[in-house]
Amino acid sequence: MLKKIASYFFIVFGLAVLWASTSRTAMQYISDKRDGTKWWQTYPCLHGDLVSLSYLDFVTRFNPPPDLTSLKKPTGNSPHNTVLYLHGDSYTYHLPDSIFAGLNEFHLIDRNHGMNYHLDTTKRNILVLEVSERYLRTYYGGLQIFDELCDSIIKKKTIAASEENITPSYASIIPGFHVNDLFNKYINQNLQGNLFNYNFIIPMFETKAALNYYVFNRASGDVVISRDRNFLFLKETVSLTDIGSSYVPLTDADITWMVDNFNKIYDHYKENGFSEVYLSMIPNSATIMQPDGYNNLIPGIQQDKRLKIKIINVYNAFKNSPVTLYQPGDTHWNSKGRQLWLDLVNEKLINTN
Amino acid sequence: MTFISLQFLVFFMVVSLWFFRLKNQKGRIWLLLIASCYFYMTFIPQYILILGGTIVVDYIAGMLIEQSEGRLRKFWLIMSLVANIGVLAVFKYYNFFIDNIHTGFQFFGKPISLPVLKMALPIGLSFHTFQAMSYTIEVYRGNQKSERNFVVYALYVMFYPQLVAGPIERPQNVLPQLKEFRPYNWDNVKEGLARMLWGFFKKVVIADRLAIATERTFTFTHDSSSLALFIGAVFYSFQIYCDFSGYSDIALGAAKVMNIRLMENFNQPYLSKGISEFWSRWHISLSSWFRDFVYIPLGGNRKGPWRRRLNIMIVFLLSGLWHGANWTFVVWGVLHGLLVALFAFGAKKNTGANSGIINAAKVAGSFLLVTMLWIFFRSPNIVAGWTYIKKTCSFIGGSNYVVLNRVEVAFSVLLIIIMLLRERLLKTHLIASNGKFYFYTAMMVIICYYFGVFKENQFIYFQF
Repeated sequence: MLKKIASYFFIVFGLAVLWASTSRTAMQYISDKRDGTKWWQTYPCLHGDLVSLSYLDFVTRFNPPPDLTSLKKPTGNSPHNTVLYLHGDSYTYHLPDSIFAGLNEFHLIDRNHGMNYHLDTTKRNILVLEVSERYLRTYYGGLQIFDELCDSIIKKKTIAASEENITPSYASIIPGFHVNDLFNKYINQNLQGNLFNYNFIIPMFETKAALNYYVFNRASGDVVISRDRNFLFLKETVSLTDIGSSYVPLTDADITWMVDNFNKIYDHYKENGFSEVYLSMIPNSATIMQPDGYNNLIPGIQQDKRLKIKIINVYNAFKNSPVTLYQPGDTHWNSKGRQLWLDLVNEKLINTN
Repeated sequence: MTFISLQFLVFFMVVSLWFFRLKNQKGRIWLLLIASCYFYMTFIPQYILILGGTIVVDYIAGMLIEQSEGRLRKFWLIMSLVANIGVLAVFKYYNFFIDNIHTGFQFFGKPISLPVLKMALPIGLSFHTFQAMSYTIEVYRGNQKSERNFVVYALYVMFYPQLVAGPIERPQNVLPQLKEFRPYNWDNVKEGLARMLWGFFKKVVIADRLAIATERTFTFTHDSSSLALFIGAVFYSFQIYCDFSGYSDIALGAAKVMNIRLMENFNQPYLSKGISEFWSRWHISLSSWFRDFVYIPLGGNRKGPWRRRLNIMIVFLLSGLWHGANWTFVVWGVLHGLLVALFAFGAKKNTGANSGIINAAKVAGSFLLVTMLWIFFRSPNIVAGWTYIKKTCSFIGGSNYVVLNRVEVAFSVLLIIIMLLRERLLKTHLIASNGKFYFYTAMMVIICYYFGVFKENQFIYFQF
């Protein structure tokens, strides 16, 4: 009898955890509820996202003191009627408008949510597309930006969105329900979070991380230690097969494809009324800190003579910088890197006619 | 969902527990079919339509073949084979064919541009297509009655443990087991779980650790020293074995938990004393498929020594192509075929028992030959494979960096020795004593967690 009850319990538990880890709504609910709840709190990310991913909090070289330097105010001003649309990712989240040179309006667009805009053509509308190198080919290899960043009135979608997106409409048995709702590509991360990401289990993960670090000189999971041992890199940025890697082999056709896409994007937004469209590609930390074997994705695109979109040349500035611009245990830049990027953007804002 | 994902562990727990709570076979079959559909759809949901289409075609073909005689019977068989091979040809070989046409025209200075298929290869297509073909061929030969129950037939093709990477089963083995209600058997559960744990160990502790080094040497061949390349090549031999046989262990174990016995796919192939013997121990379900459905119908060894060798070459050429639409696989298959055909000449001369030293030399020689040919299998193109072999044999310097440090290289060798010894000495996975079984399970879970390399790697053979 006990076995029977136990087996039913595990069937129901298993189905529930599979469902919860598949459903985006359920995961959002769980995530909200877990914040601030002590006994089932998630592992805190105190020393950088890569330190947290690899459980290497005990290695001091990856955990420097917090960098509290604030961004400098711009020294010049852009023409008074400038409106900046900044379409970016985690590098540019939470940036205040006060750090940009004399803006009339500032719109920070989260790539995951997109934006419907309608331009005031009496103003000088500048679009800056900021993208980190590891997402460059994933995101701009398609043209989904036309669906996500579009004029609310014109809704002009001159080119179909990503060709890779296979429409799920064949499976719409119940209105509003699609077969793809049954599957979630992040289910394993969600399951790990729901089943194991609790403070009281963390010592087990840290033991494994210490074993790998001290015995095998490696980091666990999706993190790789740089050859000089001073930095952590996200595995997908240094693997030899991932599309977001600095070292994955590239062909001329890959560069041509990206250049063609950026030209389509440039033409599209210029046609929609933007005064200028800039592309700002943020190099992976491995690209700058461990350049041997770099596939030259960013310079390959930037130096292509057919490229129409205007470039904010972060790659050259970072490559030639005498100081370190990345955090040792994080995928992102440090305050110096952010300041350097900001100076380059402000220079364009001030000088663009 | 791969076998080494958390999703699979939860899925397997739910399906297995539910399976034994059902008191009739009809319910169990439906449960397994629905579970198998979910399993397959976690890769790319839409591709179930392709699989479903071939299942319907072969289910109908099976009945039509059985009801027909003479030329009509053959006609229905050919129709079924055309449908199956057609699906393979379109999804797996079409782009390869077009690429070669492009290259050919370009070579003669007249480049053309034909449309290419922009679709990923459906997971495990070659496996379930071959399994489906074995059904219609066996019905045609009268060795198997056509299956009237569509759900049972669909499950024969889709049974989740062997759906995406085999073993390529025969209807005579699986269909009767699917129809028979078998009560819960604790020994089978223990044996199945122990085998699954062994498969996990081979995959995450050995194969994925070795993959760290092989990824480096096969990508940075030009920078690497001969020693690093040699280590990379040997490691790849064990990586692909532990990866594929580990998958098979998990598949056979998962089926065994539900009282279903699938055919063995490996029998210590690296202890073979020749290439022919290697092929009787490696990927047995595929080798026996080609033997039964290609080699013997072509005449096998009944039509003289030269025809026999031609038949061998045809089989290995097809086997190479089966593995992938790339010239590297063709070269790999042809070279294996040449070696098997060559050794077929010398087979009669080998009389009497050999000493231990000679046997050891034969095992080592066979292993090195197989390892050398795996280089073509792993390389992106023939030139890269040839460069790898040349650099390995030239004993020149370069970087000895294989990502793994010396401790981990030594640890990897130790793991390989443990794996070989365990498979040599222990033929069964059943642990009779409950106490020992629980201890073994706990130890294997701890070892797999602490020494496992987890990076969501797919099994190598999924791509075929």
